[in-house]
Amino acid sequence: MTPEERTAGGAPMIQLFRVCKDFGPFRHALSEVSFTVERGEFVFLTGPSGAGKSTLLKLLFREELPTSGQIVVNGRNIGVLPDGQVPYFRRTLGVVFQDFKLIGRKTVYGNLAFVQSVLGLSRGEQKRRAYQALKRVGLHHRMNSLPSELSGGEQQRTAIALAIVNEPVLLLADEPTGNLDPVLSEEIMKLFSEINIRGTTVFVATHDVDLIRRMGHRVLTLEKGKLRERDMAREALAREAPFLPG
Amino acid sequence: MNSRYLFGEAWAIAKSGPRHTAIAVVLIALAFYVPGLFALLSRNLGRLAGSAREPAAAILTLDASADARGVAARVTEDPRVAKVTIVGSAAALERFRRAYPDLGGAIADLGEAPFPPAIEVSLKPSAPPRAAREIAVAARSWPGVDAAESEEEFAAKFRDGVRLLRGAGLFLGGLLTVAAILSVASAVRLALDLHRDEIGIMRRMGATETAIRAPFWLHAFFEGLAGGALALALLYATYRGAAYFLSREPHPVLALFWVGFLDLPTALALPAVGGAAGFLGSLLSLSKSPKS
Repeated sequence: MTPEERTAGGAPMIQLFRVCKDFGPFRHALSEVSFTVERGEFVFLTGPSGAGKSTLLKLLFREELPTSGQIVVNGRNIGVLPDGQVPYFRRTLGVVFQDFKLIGRKTVYGNLAFVQSVLGLSRGEQKRRAYQALKRVGLHHRMNSLPSELSGGEQQRTAIALAIVNEPVLLLADEPTGNLDPVLSEEIMKLFSEINIRGTTVFVATHDVDLIRRMGHRVLTLEKGKLRERDMAREALAREAPFLPG
Repeated sequence: MNSRYLFGEAWAIAKSGPRHTAIAVVLIALAFYVPGLFALLSRNLGRLAGSAREPAAAILTLDASADARGVAARVTEDPRVAKVTIVGSAAALERFRRAYPDLGGAIADLGEAPFPPAIEVSLKPSAPPRAAREIAVAARSWPGVDAAESEEEFAAKFRDGVRLLRGAGLFLGGLLTVAAILSVASAVRLALDLHRDEIGIMRRMGATETAIRAPFWLHAFFEGLAGGALALALLYATYRGAAYFLSREPHPVLALFWVGFLDLPTALALPAVGGAAGFLGSLLSLSKSPKS
């Protein structure tokens, strides 16, 4: 199934309606955040440390639930998604973190095959998808290497291969270049662009302003848990929240 | 989720903490060995109880030098007695050989008769229930009579003894099974910690909770199964070792009941219950595992 086939009609990929997230009575991580990301878009989310970028990504990934407001991803209101449906929802997404998160005891290929075997794919399908994903990130020649034998850039590319191996409709990345030098960071961003060109919506949280400027994509800025006013003005859907079933 | 993933990961979990896996298996083995030993003893005692040739109301055990015929004649004077049977040392030995052919070798080399002569007393159907006890009490003071017990007394004591043994076995077994379940739960908890990153990756990639937990369930089940099997092997080794010892150093009492191993259903129950205990331990541990 291609990303295009797995999308829910022509609705936007991400819609947030006045989303708030509190951790306890005194810590407001996000306040009244509303925006829309269209299908096939490449969007950066930026802001200083503690602005709420990671919290927002966790909400999109349904690792956290909003305190109030609605979040619609790929046509599904994930705030009301039953727990049993969450894994199936996550299979349509890919996630990349700053710290790579690879299984150290498995090879590059083993990492990719492992997650697919958990999902019940046949060995033939696992091989095909793993090879394709590794080829896309330019690591098919290192498939038998252990993560510890790879450079930082290669480890991050493996993590990206892991994120795209299930052919997601939406790729979320949380500070994916945080541990990399500028050259490698640019390389990773080019890779994201290539993935985006093939139809996957890409949503990257980063505080690397130079990188964002060079890439030239749309930018959303969070400041103390709120979307910056000039971004909010652009977000036409901040007005009313249509209720969608999970 | 496919079987390759399931068994592969269960094996990987076992390998990731070999020491803890080994400790859990040994603890389970010990937990099932102790009640297994009680089951072995009570089974053999039960077999001894069931091997009596014909029911006697009272048994008078005589001194080796006693006048058996004289004592028998004195017993028959009681109008409630229907029949007396003198069982000499040789006859008792022959009975034993017939009842326990597998122990024949153990007592063949005995220089002297291991069983004292005895008189078995049968009562008339019209005799009251207390008659056997009264005859036994009276006979205890007769010359040549070493001991006298009514069958009722003996059977009650024997039944009580076996019951006590089974009760102790069940109690200890229950206690040790709980300990085994807790030790598996703790081993699984440790394995969860060791695989926290992998679990995180699996959840992120959309693995269901069942797919994530299944290898841990399987691992714990096999841990319990291995522990139960080890307990069974240890029990068999104990049985064979004791039988070998008794064949070399025959003991008049121990040789009486150390004659058979556990029956097949009981033997198979050990690994099966071990597997169930392991599975239960993993359920206990994984029920506390946080979801993301």
